[in-house]
Amino acid sequence: MNIWSISLKNIKSKPLYTFLSIFILALSITLLLGIRQLETSFKYQMQNNLGEIDLVIGAKGSPLQLVLASVLHMDNPTGNILYEDAKKIGKSPFIKTAVPISYGDNYKGYKIVGTTANFATLYNAKLEKGSAIKKSMEVILGSTVAEQLQLKIGDTFLSSHGLLENDIDIHSEHLTIVGIYQPTNKIIDRLIVTSLESIWHVHQEEEHEKDENHLEHHENHEKEKEITSLLVSFRSPSALLTLPRKINKDTNMQAALPKYELEKLYRYTGVGLKTISWIAYMILIISCITIFVSLYKMVKERAFDLALLRTYGASNFQLTRMIAYEGLIIGLFAFLLGLLVSKVGLYFMLRIMETEYQQNILQKLPLQEFLQIGLLVVVMIAFSILLAIYPIMKMNISTTLSNEK
Amino acid sequence: MIQTNNLTFHYKKEKHLFSFPNIDLKERENLLILGKSGIGKTTLLHLLAGLLTPISGKVVVGGVDIHSISYSELDKFRGQNIGLVFQKKHAIQSLNVVENLHARLFLSRKPISNTIIDFLLEQLDVSDCKTSTINTLSEGQSQRLSIAMAVVHNPQVILADEPTSSLDDANCKVVIELLIKQAKLTNANLIVITHDHRIKPLFSNSITL
Repeated sequence: MNIWSISLKNIKSKPLYTFLSIFILALSITLLLGIRQLETSFKYQMQNNLGEIDLVIGAKGSPLQLVLASVLHMDNPTGNILYEDAKKIGKSPFIKTAVPISYGDNYKGYKIVGTTANFATLYNAKLEKGSAIKKSMEVILGSTVAEQLQLKIGDTFLSSHGLLENDIDIHSEHLTIVGIYQPTNKIIDRLIVTSLESIWHVHQEEEHEKDENHLEHHENHEKEKEITSLLVSFRSPSALLTLPRKINKDTNMQAALPKYELEKLYRYTGVGLKTISWIAYMILIISCITIFVSLYKMVKERAFDLALLRTYGASNFQLTRMIAYEGLIIGLFAFLLGLLVSKVGLYFMLRIMETEYQQNILQKLPLQEFLQIGLLVVVMIAFSILLAIYPIMKMNISTTLSNEK
Repeated sequence: MIQTNNLTFHYKKEKHLFSFPNIDLKERENLLILGKSGIGKTTLLHLLAGLLTPISGKVVVGGVDIHSISYSELDKFRGQNIGLVFQKKHAIQSLNVVENLHARLFLSRKPISNTIIDFLLEQLDVSDCKTSTINTLSEGQSQRLSIAMAVVHNPQVILADEPTSSLDDANCKVVIELLIKQAKLTNANLIVITHDHRIKPLFSNSITL
């Protein structure tokens, strides 16, 4: 028998109040932890997927769309640009690497990106198996693609037109898998990488079939080769100021800064998360009021019990500890429950998102954020406990005992 | 052993000054204090227990002037040397009978001994209710429990405030006899404060306020 066990017995003797307190507190902790984790994961995922891309050059249109399409591979491209024009820009002394990408096809929902060998270096992706692309119609799979579709080196498949999975518009040329990348936790894991030529080849073959005027077309098409966008990394940050403006002014292409665009997008989506955060804080306050009411009620209703404990030799400090432990036990249980529910909840939520976007974005919550929430909860509970034990400090044992007789 | 000397007291908002006759009990002596309602019986009991501080005068229990020591020492002293029996509620609601006795010993800083507790409950004829919760006990059982709570820690003084006013004649006699018996067993002074004249014949020593 000690103060802890008396506190525990007190809690057990009022299960409804205890349940209510734990439930509401756990709810707010769940929301707080869940939102913070989503927020960090989101931010991390966006930053991470940028790799070394400082600038995206593509067809005129919405810069956000261009970034979403070319960097996160989440949206349709704004259109195509001429490879010739892109190559000219790529020669600028400000630019360290310029990687052209071209896409428009998918296999079972995974996007096929035609590009050059430099694409992998943007994401620091190395080959796990197989070899680099040597000729047209060869592909390297991102690690997630290989895993999800159970494909291995040497397998062949037919791509289908468009960015979404469909069975109607299937190209007739087989693509052969020659390599698989190591997992990078970046967007490249979910892409099928091939050469620019493969993409051109697939589409030209089909245009030829439709086009009667073969010869004339063939002469022009070296000039007409198109790509979707150009991913650029700068040699020095000073290019950030001049190059985009120049491209936007002097060419029929647009230059978008992915960092800036994603920051903008994040601000839009952040409003929703902020609202939920505020709701979570409100619930936290309400739950602390519940704990306070529960403890205060106990102090008031059981004043006689507390006075009795004093006559048994309990000091004021022991009674204070008894009430404080009750609050702490409730808080601890609520925190564990909240942690558990937020983990399980996010897991299932992201499982659903994962199948929709083929993206696994769950990141571990940094310890600092975790401690911040923990500290906030502890402070709030401590505050409610302090308010509740105030009457104990002022308790007059004699009056309490005489009144309750 | 308990002595008082010229005890006086008055409540903050009231003008009436209580002054109490001196008490001087040697070892194993008992005392019945009779008086009408409002005469200050409970006030006297709380002064004796150190729950109220007198305006003047002394209360000496086992050689210790209890109003001259610090509050925390008084808490400790009360827990170890004084046993209180009340009219109605007698124990902590959220604990069962045995847990109450354990808590009592723990808070008095006395070793917890199940043999003593079993023996005591046997003596008081409440062994059957060991794990009962407090609000399921009958009036008689619960008054017996309050005796157990007042004597389990071997106090020097047992103070009982109207212990019999809610009991019928049969239970009244049994409870007082048990109190006297337990006081004797622990070598404690028993002071009963009451307006209940039924118990007067059971005491040799009594004063009226």
